[in-house]
Amino acid sequence: MADHTNLSHRFFLSIALLSTVAVTEPDLTGELVSLRSSSESGVIRLNDESVSRFITSVSIPRPYSLIIFFNSINLNSEPLQEFRREFGFVSASFTSNNNNRSDVTDKLFFCEIDSTDSEAFHRFGIRSLPQICLKAMMEEDDVDGTAESVAEFVESRTHLTVGPIHRPPLLSKTQISVIATLIAISAPFLIKKVLKGETVLHNSRVWLYGAVFVYFFSVSGTMHNIIKSVPLFLTDREDSNKLVFFYEGSQYQLGAEGFSVGFLYNAVGLLLAYVTNALVRVRNVNEQRVVMMLVMVVSLLAVKRVVYLDNWKTGYQIQMYWPSSWQWH
Amino acid sequence: MVTKKTSPDLLNSFSFKSLKLKTKQQELLIRVSILGLVYVLAFIARLFSVLRYESMIHEFDPYFNYRTTLFLTEKGFYEFWNWFDSESWYPLGRIIGGTLYPGLMVTAALIYWALRFLRFFVHIREVCVLTAPFFASNTTIVAYFFGKEIWDTGAGLVAAALIAICPGYISRSVAGSYDNEAVAIFALLLTFYLFVKAVKTGSLSWALGSAFGYFYMVSAWGGYVFIINLIPLYVLVLLITGRYSMRLYVAYNCMYILGMLLAMQIRFVGFQHVQSGEHMGAMGVFLLMQVFYFLDWVKYKLNDTKLFQTFLKITVTSAVLVGGIALGVGTASGYISPWTGRFYSLLDPTYAKDHIPIIASVSEHQPTAWSSFMFDYHILLFLFPAGLYFCFKRLSDATIFIVMYGLTSLYFAGVMVRLILVATPAVCLISAIAVSATVKNLTSLLRTKQKIPQAGSTKGVGSSKSSSKVTLDQSQPFQKNGAIALLVGVFYLLSRYAIHCTWVTSEAYSSPSIVLAARGAHGNRIIFDDYREAYYWLRQNTPTDAKVMSWWDYGYQITAMGNRTVIVDNNTWNNTHIATVGRAMSSYEDEAYDIMRSLDVNYVLVVFGGVTGYSSDDINKFLWMVRIGGGVYPVIKEPDYLVNGEFRVDKGASPKMLNCLMYKLCYYRFGELVTEYGKPTGYDRARGVEIGNKDVKLEHLEEAYTTSNWIVRIYRVKPPTNRL
Repeated sequence: MADHTNLSHRFFLSIALLSTVAVTEPDLTGELVSLRSSSESGVIRLNDESVSRFITSVSIPRPYSLIIFFNSINLNSEPLQEFRREFGFVSASFTSNNNNRSDVTDKLFFCEIDSTDSEAFHRFGIRSLPQICLKAMMEEDDVDGTAESVAEFVESRTHLTVGPIHRPPLLSKTQISVIATLIAISAPFLIKKVLKGETVLHNSRVWLYGAVFVYFFSVSGTMHNIIKSVPLFLTDREDSNKLVFFYEGSQYQLGAEGFSVGFLYNAVGLLLAYVTNALVRVRNVNEQRVVMMLVMVVSLLAVKRVVYLDNWKTGYQIQMYWPSSWQWH
Repeated sequence: MVTKKTSPDLLNSFSFKSLKLKTKQQELLIRVSILGLVYVLAFIARLFSVLRYESMIHEFDPYFNYRTTLFLTEKGFYEFWNWFDSESWYPLGRIIGGTLYPGLMVTAALIYWALRFLRFFVHIREVCVLTAPFFASNTTIVAYFFGKEIWDTGAGLVAAALIAICPGYISRSVAGSYDNEAVAIFALLLTFYLFVKAVKTGSLSWALGSAFGYFYMVSAWGGYVFIINLIPLYVLVLLITGRYSMRLYVAYNCMYILGMLLAMQIRFVGFQHVQSGEHMGAMGVFLLMQVFYFLDWVKYKLNDTKLFQTFLKITVTSAVLVGGIALGVGTASGYISPWTGRFYSLLDPTYAKDHIPIIASVSEHQPTAWSSFMFDYHILLFLFPAGLYFCFKRLSDATIFIVMYGLTSLYFAGVMVRLILVATPAVCLISAIAVSATVKNLTSLLRTKQKIPQAGSTKGVGSSKSSSKVTLDQSQPFQKNGAIALLVGVFYLLSRYAIHCTWVTSEAYSSPSIVLAARGAHGNRIIFDDYREAYYWLRQNTPTDAKVMSWWDYGYQITAMGNRTVIVDNNTWNNTHIATVGRAMSSYEDEAYDIMRSLDVNYVLVVFGGVTGYSSDDINKFLWMVRIGGGVYPVIKEPDYLVNGEFRVDKGASPKMLNCLMYKLCYYRFGELVTEYGKPTGYDRARGVEIGNKDVKLEHLEEAYTTSNWIVRIYRVKPPTNRL
């Protein structure tokens, strides 16, 4: 019933929370505060030197907690950078929500270590990213890549409140005003066109394309992709250069496979319509022949391909039922 | 039924000239016999489940329907209508008459009484089992007339044949699946057909028929909301595209007003038509219709166009304003209820996932992957775009309707797997248009080559006629071959469709899911009848007033077959009550004991697939119990049951998981058992792991009964120990 997407084999990231208590070493905390104020969204970027300064060479327990995001820009992985942005939101929200309470903000710092400029990866034993773990207790926890889950993780470990997450609005204010002026300027022209009946909406062909698109959208399982937020394709577990486009099992699909199959449906259907309705008007006989042969071959291949894929995906072997008296014994 | 409906045609055809009459008669004979065969085919294709298993009711909800039907036939309609059921939702109970759609039960009871009147003394169960196939057969007839209405008789015949065996429909209408959908799809298609007919003719009688069809639909299934939103949307589209006519006015007003008044007679629906946000669209369109009519009248009276333009502007603005204000005031004052969660989850698909776990938890509410579409529609998916193209080529009121119906329902089918059912008639009809038009085009191409004038049967071919005219003036020998090749291709595809449908019906959709079948090591069939074994045990070995706690999936079956009171069942009307059960299942035993004591629970029933490898058991549903329980009681936290985001039952499982009630009840004594050769004891075959807690000790419960394959395990809740 429930889908458990095992994150640990998908994305390359890791969060470690180094948690601590007591023993005041005010100069280090002060340094971290100043580093935080100078970095973007309050995420401090650590290198080898600062790792040893703030983490390894500090006597345990430390007076502050660090939550470290192990990043790898070289990997250029979209889910990872998505998570990195979410991480930034948590950091920014944490500082802004606890603005006037230095007793809270000085206890937790959001950091980032990139694989390019640090040996820290080895030091923390980060080999198969992403494990999401808490160093202090050596216990793994569930963080699913959203700002809320990171905040929850932090709150459950450090007992500091992060507060509501502030995400930047989808469109900035200048963008909104530009769009509004554009709409305001074009409105009179549009209204005039509508009244005259000259818009694209008066063209039935546009509606046909729209209808075909809605069909494509539905049967290719796009709603499934949106609701379950599936990736377009996966990377093979064994071989990272190989991409997996098709997922076996009828309850789940990947983005690309749905679109390719949806495309095949439409291709065959529209070709059929084209042959019976438009091709007959073509004057040139040779052209007709070639196109017709082409259409038939393409349709045959497409249908065969989809049926094969469906049988493979659902694991069913469709066969014919013959009368039992016809069978050999 | 078939001959009855077509007999007027027969009579008409006799009045034709003798030569014409012959071809006409032949055509009619072929048409009627095809339709008759399709009618029989639709019925027998659905009997696979009876052949492979036995004549029994399937799944979960049908058991409730069966139980109520039994009550209805035994006690009569008024008792049924006022029935307060104290055997479910203990201690709350449930008012049955006011919380169900009675259409299905009344239909089955009427068939039963009719058969008895004719001196056929069948058991009510047989009637219930065969209701769905019977209505599926009737649906094919409606599909024929609908296809005839939107395209031509050929399309109607193809549509009837396609829908007769379409897996998307069969999945919900095999013998034994005695559920609301069984009659509802018939009612849905009938309503649509009658409405389209009413719009075409503008006749009051068709509109009246459509209103009654709507009434039947409302009485049968909650999916009527689709009708009451699609028809106004259709009318609105016709208004916008300038297809307003007196016919439309008559059809919609009659259908809406009468349909609404009739629907109010169903207690479960009540005044929703005037109070709920989901029905407001229909009312808005109704009012808009009156504005249109009024404007028409004013235009007729006013001869000054300039004056009319001003008047038009003022009326339209004020009408929209008044409507908006009324809606705003109604919503703000609480008179108009906001949209329900289920409705939201259709429009905004991510809504259910975030807000209503109980909707998201049901497997048939999952979004649809492409393979499910392929599995249920097969070749129709390729034909649909072609059908769309043909519909756009010949736009009429009827084709606009079928295109809208097809696209909206397909979109909804993408959101929820179960709504594939609603889209099936539309997909079949549109695909039938593609098949029929293609075949007609190609055969007419063939015929013109043989220099035979067009046969009488091609009346009203429309676009295909025009395109065949185009082909007439270019007779190349190649085209004939091409047409033959294409025809062979089309028939090959259709035959694959038939093979696919037969196979799918027999292998995938005929399982009653209360009796499980598996293939043994030697390819033989093994039947697991544990559910019924457990329910009959409950019936015969427990006190009649015993209360049984189980996850809600099994509630209907326990009351119907075990005849015992349950705490929650499949009518998930009270989320808190279900969450309480979820909480009990996911708590430690002593905490769960307090909850069970407070609910007077005597027996706990769990479903366990570890021995047989049955994967839809309670352990696999467990996370949903946690989620639903945690939704109401925040003490239950999902991460407590997971390890690194993963759900495990082996040694690496979380301690909370290993000691919660559900785990203990499922795996009690399981640690001693060897399930598979070469594996250690306590090897769970459903999840393929060795369990983590083999030494389960129960304190407040004791094992009462475990079925032969361990699928159902029943525990007795011990009375509290004496306190001195």
